Amino acid sequence: MIGNYFKTALRNILKHKSYSLINIIGLSIGIACFVLIGLYIADEMSYDRYHEKSDRIYRVVNVYDFDGVGENSASAPFPVAFTLKNEYPGLIKNVVRIFDFQVSRSLVEYKDKSFNEKNLFFADSTFFDIFDYKFVKGDPETALQEANSVVITETAARKYFGDEEPMGKVLRYDDRVNLKVTGLIRDVPLQSHFQFSLVASMSTVRQITRGQLPRTWVWNPCWTYVLLKEGVVPEEIEKDLPNYVNKFFYDAEKENISLYLQPLEDIHLKSKLDYEIEPNNDIGNLYILAVIAFFLLVIAAINFMNLATATSTGRSKEIGIKKVVGAYRKQIIRQFLGESILMSFFAMIVALFLIELALPAFNDFTGKEISLSLLVHPVYMGALLLITLLTGFLSGVYPAFYLSSFKPVQVLKGKVSKGAKSGKSRKVLVVMQFAISIALIISTFIAYDQISYIRNADLGFKNDDIIIVPINRTNIAEGFKEFKNELQNNPDIYSVTAMDDILGKAHNTHEFRPEGYPEDKWNFYPALVVHYDFLKTFDIKVIAGRDYSELHKTDPMKGLLINEAMVRHLGWECPEKALGKKLITIRGDERVIGVTENFNVTSLHQPAGPFALNMKEEDWSIHWFTNFMVVRHIPGKEKEVLAYLEKKWKEREGERPFEYSFLEDELSQLYEGEEKLGSLSLIFAVLIIFIASLGLFGLASFMAEQRTKEIGIRKVLGAQTLSIIKLMSFDFMKLVLIATLISWPLSYIFMDNWLENFAYRTQINLPAFVLAALIALTIAMSITSVKAYFASQTDPVDILKYE
Amino acid sequence: MIKTAELTKVFRTDEVETTALNKVSLQVDSGEFVAIMGPSGCGKSTLLNILGLLDNPSKGKYYFLEHEVSDYSEKQRARLRKQNIGFVFQNFNLIDELSVFENVELPLIYLGVNSTDRKSRVEEVLEKVKISHRKKHFPLQLSGGQQQRVAVARALVAKPHLILADEPTGNLDSSHGEEIMKMLEELNGTGTTIVMVTHSLRDAEYAQRIVRLFDGQVVTENIKAPV
Ligand SMILES: Nc1ncnc2c1ncn2[C@@H]1O[C@H](COP(=O)(O)OP(=O)(O)O)[C@@H](O)[C@H]1O
Ligand SMILES: [Mg+2]
Repeated sequence: MIGNYFKTALRNILKHKSYSLINIIGLSIGIACFVLIGLYIADEMSYDRYHEKSDRIYRVVNVYDFDGVGENSASAPFPVAFTLKNEYPGLIKNVVRIFDFQVSRSLVEYKDKSFNEKNLFFADSTFFDIFDYKFVKGDPETALQEANSVVITETAARKYFGDEEPMGKVLRYDDRVNLKVTGLIRDVPLQSHFQFSLVASMSTVRQITRGQLPRTWVWNPCWTYVLLKEGVVPEEIEKDLPNYVNKFFYDAEKENISLYLQPLEDIHLKSKLDYEIEPNNDIGNLYILAVIAFFLLVIAAINFMNLATATSTGRSKEIGIKKVVGAYRKQIIRQFLGESILMSFFAMIVALFLIELALPAFNDFTGKEISLSLLVHPVYMGALLLITLLTGFLSGVYPAFYLSSFKPVQVLKGKVSKGAKSGKSRKVLVVMQFAISIALIISTFIAYDQISYIRNADLGFKNDDIIIVPINRTNIAEGFKEFKNELQNNPDIYSVTAMDDILGKAHNTHEFRPEGYPEDKWNFYPALVVHYDFLKTFDIKVIAGRDYSELHKTDPMKGLLINEAMVRHLGWECPEKALGKKLITIRGDERVIGVTENFNVTSLHQPAGPFALNMKEEDWSIHWFTNFMVVRHIPGKEKEVLAYLEKKWKEREGERPFEYSFLEDELSQLYEGEEKLGSLSLIFAVLIIFIASLGLFGLASFMAEQRTKEIGIRKVLGAQTLSIIKLMSFDFMKLVLIATLISWPLSYIFMDNWLENFAYRTQINLPAFVLAALIALTIAMSITSVKAYFASQTDPVDILKYE
Repeated sequence: MIKTAELTKVFRTDEVETTALNKVSLQVDSGEFVAIMGPSGCGKSTLLNILGLLDNPSKGKYYFLEHEVSDYSEKQRARLRKQNIGFVFQNFNLIDELSVFENVELPLIYLGVNSTDRKSRVEEVLEKVKISHRKKHFPLQLSGGQQQRVAVARALVAKPHLILADEPTGNLDSSHGEEIMKMLEELNGTGTTIVMVTHSLRDAEYAQRIVRLFDGQVVTENIKAPV
């Protein structure tokens, strides 16, 4: 019986070559995209799960909330980790801190090689007890016990030592301390919420900070992870954390601080905190991709259903006869399901080729290392088979039930009018395909709109013609004043300043007690530590008071700039009234010397909030806060200035590599996620339209075949080609119009919702809707009228004779 | 074998109501060869379809092999049909995508016969209708007469008790038509009951009895002596 099914199926597939081709192409693209997206999502979901105890590892998150300002910090103060362990010995198995001096790069040297190392961290010796990394050499238990030890990845080892044996080699860190290699590990899996090349022992930090680790409960630079004992749920600790905060944190802030435990496995997709080690993805993006993947399959399946039911007249005789000779309905159903599943298996095989072809580009684009060999894994294999089966089943189930319902008597009499019964549902399906396609085009347009809106948005500060040079802990930073003066002699350079984080991308918070606030009311406000000419460099306007000036000797110690939002936040009525107001710090009072316009200190997902600019000139602050030099050049002088900067760098820093970036690029990284999602959905939108068009092409061909006789008669009666084209494409146009009407409100609602993610969002623009509809209409129109044109070109005499 | 009592079939389309059969009472005994005649549209095919369990009557009773089947479900009818009835149609109704062999094999497949038995039974019946040499061909490669022989083979292969033929010679020239009639006659000789619709008096000669239908009603039952 199966053999017979198979034979008929195969012969039918071959008999209707063009329809089969349409189905297989559509289905295979659908399956290929679905699998690609599936692999991508599976990869994203697998983050950090390679640690054996990943489900028991939590990160300690600090929330500082001062009347709506403050931070949600992914990192915690130094003492948190081990005090937590002491407080909850029955619940916490182990803790570890990860620390990077809050610098984005540090100088690491070996012999005559030196690198700006981006991926160096310090960690407690418990690091390898909590996290699982594959040791090639060395002992995970002891590798980080001694001061001046470092564990290094294979790639990093090759970078520093080439083919030499890395164990025991000594690296020079920041020209301050030595780090001896005590362990060699395999590279950190890509599926990690943070990558490192070198991890040095925390006890090394003591040597740099003069004997002790910082004991302050205010500075919170340590990413702190706890490993819970087996069977412990985080709530057991979390419910007591208010008591913990009360016991340890400073009185002035305890009311505003709360801690919670964030599951390690959630970090990559669900964490959007301040001071993340690396930017994370957003699970919302995965949902969007999943929906697109689903649509791709559905649209390909709809093609199958439509073509199967449309061409069913061709099969009705077969069905009728089989019933006459004794087939039960369920046997017919089984046969047709079998056929669609067979078709979908063909498509799956083609899809595997497509995936193999697309993977390099896909990996390149997504920064992943997905390979088709993943599919050999039984789970993925099973999933692939399941999807194929399911696709085959879903595409076949409607045709199967429809076809098997034919009554033999009617069929044998030739009474089944050519697929008429299913005409309505076929139309519904076409409308569905086009509604989805149009909605997707609209969404893609709007997403692009938003991205370009953000790129061109007025951030409140200038972002072009600005070069950023990381200078933390360089000679340049230590002697920044002189260096700056030297640079400013170059006529190509408009101005030079420095800051502790990249404006618009990240910032710290500073602790102040605003004038008029109670004695114990210390608040944390977002702030940057800057140098002279900051406002000039970034074109930020002063609306009251004045900018920092070297003429006022007290500015570095006592002067503070705040923005308008801060004035309002502190309830100081108007910018003028804010001038001279005190903001008390532990190191003395600061006074507001100027109020600036608002500017966006973080991504445009968030609104411009209260902000302060602070200047410091003491050595310690130069050391800690002069992290990025900002050089604004005269437009068009970029190359000259870069060459000049590199020359100057060499003079001061010798072999230390010179690095730079453009502010514009730094800022566009903030929207990389959206941009990638945008391009991905553009690609998939094009594919979806392609598949839908294939289906339409099939249907139009079929209709043209169906109506050859009608066309012949019309032509005999004198109809012109154009009127025949009109006649034939009108039906499809109607469907596309209905689809448009359905897709408009849906995509409006959906995109309006998506745009809610941004504090600064573009207007949903109507041309996108019209354009999407026009694209769909044009495609549908060209396909159907080309088909109609050819149908109308045949000689009516031939057509009528043939009938 | 067959007994109907006041069998009535009414077709309802959106506006029109057609009474295709009007209180037809008819009996066909085992081993008989009956011809049904009448003008086009008088309900012959409708009657044959009901007798063949392809359709249900609107009213009246139908006893087939002692079963009262007038309100059997599609599934029940299919079960009874595949074991007992073979069909031959005017337009052959072979499946174009299946070879001669596969077409004839089909009823056995649905009866659940295993493949070795199927093979020998199909070979045997193809031999009988003299078409074995064409068993690998597809229907469209055959002449009308050959196609109808295949259809007859398919009707025979399950060894049914009853063969229903709806104008089996309608699409054939007279010599091929005669060939088919001879086959049916031979079959009847070995005990198979045959009910045949025909327009041709010559074909009707082969039957032992002619039932005449007019406007959905039986007008005469003409009993003839066996030839
Ligand atoms: N499925 C149907 N729906 C509506 N009317 C039908 C149907 N089948 C047959 N009829 C009508 O019933 C009458 C008898 O038809 P039929 O049995 O095919 O006649 P015959 O085979 O004697 O030429 C005709 O008037 C025909 O139009
Ligand atoms: Mg008839």
